[in-house]
Amino acid sequence: MRARAVIIASAASAGIILLGWQAGTGADQVHVGAAAVVGSPSLPGGSGNTGSAGSSGSSGSSGNADDGGSGAPETAAPSAAPGPTTGSAASGQGVNAAVSGTFKGTSASTRYGAVQVQVTIAAGTIKDVTALQLTDRDQRSAQISNYAAPVLRSQVLAAQSAAVQSISGATATSEGYLTSLQAALDAAHFQTDQSFSLNSRG
Amino acid sequence: MAIQPFPRTGARPAPRVGPDRVLASRRRLLRRDSLLIASWVSVAIVIALFLADDVAAGFVSVGQTLTSLGIAAGLVGTDLLLVMLLLTARLPVIDRAYGHDRAVALHRKLGKPVLYLLLSHTGLLIAGYGMTEGINPVSEVLTLFLTVPDMPLAFMGLGLLLAVVVTSVVAVQRRFPYEAWLGIHLLAYLAVLAALPHQFSNGAVFAPGTWQRLYWLVFYLAVTGSILVFRIAVPLARSARYRLVVSGVRRAGTDAVTITMSGAGLESLSVHAGQFFQWRFLSADLWWHAHPFSLSAAPSAGVLEITVRGLGSGTRKLLTVRPGTKVVVEGPYGIFSKTVRTSERLVMVGAGIGVAPIRSLLEEADFAPGDATVILRAGRVEELYLLAEIDELCRSRGAYLYLETGPRPSDRAHWLPAASADRGFSLLSYAPALASSDAYVCGPVQWSAQVMAQARAAGVPAEAIHHERFSW
Repeated sequence: MRARAVIIASAASAGIILLGWQAGTGADQVHVGAAAVVGSPSLPGGSGNTGSAGSSGSSGSSGNADDGGSGAPETAAPSAAPGPTTGSAASGQGVNAAVSGTFKGTSASTRYGAVQVQVTIAAGTIKDVTALQLTDRDQRSAQISNYAAPVLRSQVLAAQSAAVQSISGATATSEGYLTSLQAALDAAHFQTDQSFSLNSRG
Repeated sequence: MAIQPFPRTGARPAPRVGPDRVLASRRRLLRRDSLLIASWVSVAIVIALFLADDVAAGFVSVGQTLTSLGIAAGLVGTDLLLVMLLLTARLPVIDRAYGHDRAVALHRKLGKPVLYLLLSHTGLLIAGYGMTEGINPVSEVLTLFLTVPDMPLAFMGLGLLLAVVVTSVVAVQRRFPYEAWLGIHLLAYLAVLAALPHQFSNGAVFAPGTWQRLYWLVFYLAVTGSILVFRIAVPLARSARYRLVVSGVRRAGTDAVTITMSGAGLESLSVHAGQFFQWRFLSADLWWHAHPFSLSAAPSAGVLEITVRGLGSGTRKLLTVRPGTKVVVEGPYGIFSKTVRTSERLVMVGAGIGVAPIRSLLEEADFAPGDATVILRAGRVEELYLLAEIDELCRSRGAYLYLETGPRPSDRAHWLPAASADRGFSLLSYAPALASSDAYVCGPVQWSAQVMAQARAAGVPAEAIHHERFSW
């Protein structure tokens, strides 16, 4: 009796786990399409369709981080070197007036996944911040991202800098977002009035 | 049903077993199998739901892989922790399938694996998060502790659980006072509660709109409900309804008394001889602890009877309990009763105060004269509790009675005293028809194991061997 129960139990368990695996890998294929949407620059920040489970290709920025605790949340992503994507950076005379274009930030690794943003600047004004990738470790992280990203975007647009409050309950996402944004602003040689301080631990 | 007496020769064919008993036994095994399969499947569902959510993002790097494994370990550990709580929630379906003893044994077996799973959950996530963020594990622990909501509580929960498992192992080995063990053990509920918030706020477990949320919500609510209903509400309701009062106390041998309790409408309580209750006597010095005792007489005419030996400091005080004392009970529990019988013949073996449930079984069980054998084992003749009453019952019911007293063999483990063991006696010597009987064994754990091993060796099927341990 017992042996039979163990056999049935193992078979049922194996079947259920396989089903789960199937659902997980199947969902991946669906989400690759979603990730493409995330990457499109026309995405209005906070429309809510960002940050679904990641395609395995675009989140490959971690694993190089075993450097014994430098403490910096920002790790250089090999795939996303900072630099102007389009447009031109200032050549030096005005402070920000001549800065225009779209700039990609570095990909910042957080424990819930990588975060990367791109900033659009026109004549020295931050016009838009687009999330290229948000924390998507699991559905919960994706939800947090979807909630936090629009809030962060509007704060940044209002403050015209990366020095804004991190969102409570989304600390990791906020830090990644603002780190990536600062990298993008640095790449654009965009200077802010306040000295940049990463909003710490809230 | 008509039962003819069998002469005591092992050569006769196996007696006709009532088809209802075979059915009942099969149903019980089926229930056991279903519960086993259900618990495996619950673990599988947890893993499957996790994979469905996570497998895409989960294994792309070393850090992410560690994180995924950590999450999975936490989910499986938590699932099994809930299974553990269910096993001791006194669920009637579990009690009927496994009996209280076996359920507790399973609960105990799961304790260490669950602790290891939850420890590796913590370790793997610290390592995985650290690698992904590029900081060392020590800083990661600090970050988690200081910045992530509900993590201090979660660490506290883990600490409590560690304390519970360690003290349980130590307590069982060193025989802590029952109350001390129980007090620490209740912390396990606190541990589960403390770990709950971080599952809400950080885990994907309760992410709205997911199947995981539904699964865990249902499981948590079911476990909480079972505990509240079957460990608290039902016992309170029963105690209030039957209002048991001690009606008599009489000596049952050295250091032992038989306590008789009566209550209103006890006839409606479904209880069998051999089952046990947790008894709480509401007198000034006894109300704060409950003790498990088996019925020592068949429940009848509104009367329940237990026989208590003054083994520990708590039970010694019980010897002085006075008539008129009110009693609060949890129970009845256990399947050391006629409900699990599979055959017409009975072999009942009891040691020390373990003879108490044997006495009640003997009184209640159906058997033809000659079909039952009772073997009582004690260190000294004075420790053969309830001897006169059991002797009287054996005479009137037609059961064979054997008394075995004296020290154990010094050179080997044997359930019989040295004198009988040295002559090569075994369980089969007392009950030649053993193979076609039900064996009921009640005594200390080691001793019972030796009796049951001999019963197995003599060909008694596992489902026909019934055991009750009388130590907690």
